[in-house]
Amino acid sequence: MTAVKASKQPQTATKVSSPDAVLKAIADPHRRHMLKLVQTSEMAAGQIAIHFDMTQQAVSLHLKTLERAGLLNERRDGTRRMYSLRPQGLESVRDVLAELWPDALARLKRAVEAGKTQKGKT
Amino acid sequence: MTQDVVTASIRIRATPEQVFPYLTDPELLPLWLGEWADTNPEPGGRFAINFGDGGKVRGTYVLISPPHRVAFTWGLQENTVLPEGSSTVEIYLTADGEDTIVDLTHHDLPVGERARHEAGWETCLTKLTEAAHS
Repeated sequence: MTAVKASKQPQTATKVSSPDAVLKAIADPHRRHMLKLVQTSEMAAGQIAIHFDMTQQAVSLHLKTLERAGLLNERRDGTRRMYSLRPQGLESVRDVLAELWPDALARLKRAVEAGKTQKGKT
Repeated sequence: MTQDVVTASIRIRATPEQVFPYLTDPELLPLWLGEWADTNPEPGGRFAINFGDGGKVRGTYVLISPPHRVAFTWGLQENTVLPEGSSTVEIYLTADGEDTIVDLTHHDLPVGERARHEAGWETCLTKLTEAAHS
């Protein structure tokens, strides 16, 4: 059998937003829709807002959340704010799974150890 | 497109024989992974897990070697970023005294440019969010 690997968090050279921030940012269906809109090309905030039944201010707040989570690039074009999908942002998909598995294993540990107590040693 | 690997390990106060059924038994799997499972634990056999509100992981067992090793493919139904069977999860159980060390490796995860531009990455993230929060 292989030796136990100490799997520590990988060091990433670039600034990576926390998986938690990414998860929170994409938990909202409106924000997921916004990401989809700018998936292939840059859009102005106002243009994005047209797709939603909410105030431009509310849309701006959502865009800010996405930007802070590292999922959007923001650029000024005169008075307009332009948004595009940030290439590195979704690298966190990997980070999401890197969180999923330790959580799952922690549940496995609890389940096995609780099950053992219930049944006694077989 | 680059591919990536996620690893995780844990120590459990039980023997590998006691842990192993939790990796194959459809009644024991949901105790730690997802909410529902359907499995046929033999090479080529079905490995299906449903998470929360509709995240459906589908794959097949690649290798079953009780009580030390299991491998199964892992993907999301109707998803182009992480399609069914596209990535592989390997789990090793190693006895250490009275404990078992569980080493999990998730191979062949799609990350980077292509994953983002393919239709369906959004669904993938949604499912992963559900998975991570379940």
